[in-house]
Amino acid sequence: MKHTLKSFFSFFLVLSITLAQAQETTPKPKQEKTNPTEISKSKTSDDSQQIPDAPLTLVNLEPIVKKSDSIPVKTDRYGVRVGVDIYKLTRALYDKNYKGIELVGDYRLTKKYFLAAELGNENKTTDDDRVNFTTKGSYIKAGFDYNAYENWLDMENIISIGLRYGFSTFNQQLNSYKVYNSNPYFGEIPVIASGKKFDGLSASWIEVVAGVKAKVFNNVFMGFSLRLNRLITNKEPENFSNLYIPGFNRTYDGSFGVGFNYTVTYFVPIYKKKVKPAINIKTEKAK
Amino acid sequence: MKKIILFLFVLALSFSGCEKDDICDANTPTTPRLVIGFYDFLNPSLLKNVTDLKVIGDGMAKGVLFNGAETTNANTISIPLKTVGTTTTYRLTLNSGNSNAALVDEDIIKFDYTTKEVFVSRACGYKSIFTLDPTTPYTHTDPIAANQKWIKFISVEKNNIENENETHIKIFF
Repeated sequence: MKHTLKSFFSFFLVLSITLAQAQETTPKPKQEKTNPTEISKSKTSDDSQQIPDAPLTLVNLEPIVKKSDSIPVKTDRYGVRVGVDIYKLTRALYDKNYKGIELVGDYRLTKKYFLAAELGNENKTTDDDRVNFTTKGSYIKAGFDYNAYENWLDMENIISIGLRYGFSTFNQQLNSYKVYNSNPYFGEIPVIASGKKFDGLSASWIEVVAGVKAKVFNNVFMGFSLRLNRLITNKEPENFSNLYIPGFNRTYDGSFGVGFNYTVTYFVPIYKKKVKPAINIKTEKAK
Repeated sequence: MKKIILFLFVLALSFSGCEKDDICDANTPTTPRLVIGFYDFLNPSLLKNVTDLKVIGDGMAKGVLFNGAETTNANTISIPLKTVGTTTTYRLTLNSGNSNAALVDEDIIKFDYTTKEVFVSRACGYKSIFTLDPTTPYTHTDPIAANQKWIKFISVEKNNIENENETHIKIFF
């Protein structure tokens, strides 16, 4: 499942890169530049034989070339984006074993880098074949996003890759469990009710985030992200295990995990910055 | 662009419904059985094969299966202990099914112990480990008082039954 998701994502990332490529409008003054010289050359050669009637067109061409070189002023808006994870919020409506909220936020540091953080609280009852337990706790994730998407004029879409450090404190309550017996001579062992609570647990992890944010209207953005997690520390309960960690989600044998969120955010602009047309300067030098 | 984003949202949501399918690996040590070794009473260091031994748990109709059969001629057997409760009683019948009724001999051993549940994994859940009662780990009786017990001596080798890699009880006959 993880691998298909990943490949799907990378496929669309490739797609989006081609989109970005398609936006690259390289100025085409070269063709127009060569024309006048050709005309002037032909003009001199023709001089001896005929009275030239070209000058009018020559005068007209020059200003057009200059016009295409001028660049509209582009400004980038800097500010704070705040929002919630819609998936976690709505999950409580159809999953009675889950309650959770995640607040997300980011702050634009530079043209490409964003400080990003998530803050959440979860209350989840996991019903597995052999264990049933409830996990309650809060978590915080902090890190950065790098926007790899080249926007048109005033577009503010984001296709980002980022890194987070996550930390969670939580407790686990074992509701019921089964004893595994590979030799059921005396019959199947019934489910044993427990109710044992394990307090003061914590875990920390590193998260790689791949995300998309699109401006739907005004300052409202919709986005989603896929996350690959790796546990760094994990304070385990005695005679039980952290099978679920708030923020990290389900744990697997190899200390890796996956996650995703689906966000609606509001952008609060603080200041604007003019974008220097770096690309155009380069092309002019090349000429 | 917006179409792609929408499609990815749908895709991401569709994956959220997937469930895990992990099952408990057969090689994972779970609830251990009681391992009993049979030894020669006259030469206590030598293992001795039993003849047509049938082991039936108290209140059970059928015997414990050894390689698919109810009787065994091996020198070591593994029998399960009840994980619910703290005693398990077994009737051990030597020469079970023998036409000569005089050879058929039944002894009863009651094991007393405490259990402890230990977490194994998500797929396996918990396992029980046992500690035989330090003062009276077993009670050895014979249903027919006049009859002589075929088991001469029982020795507890390991009080803690945590795995099946060692012999917990030695029976000399």
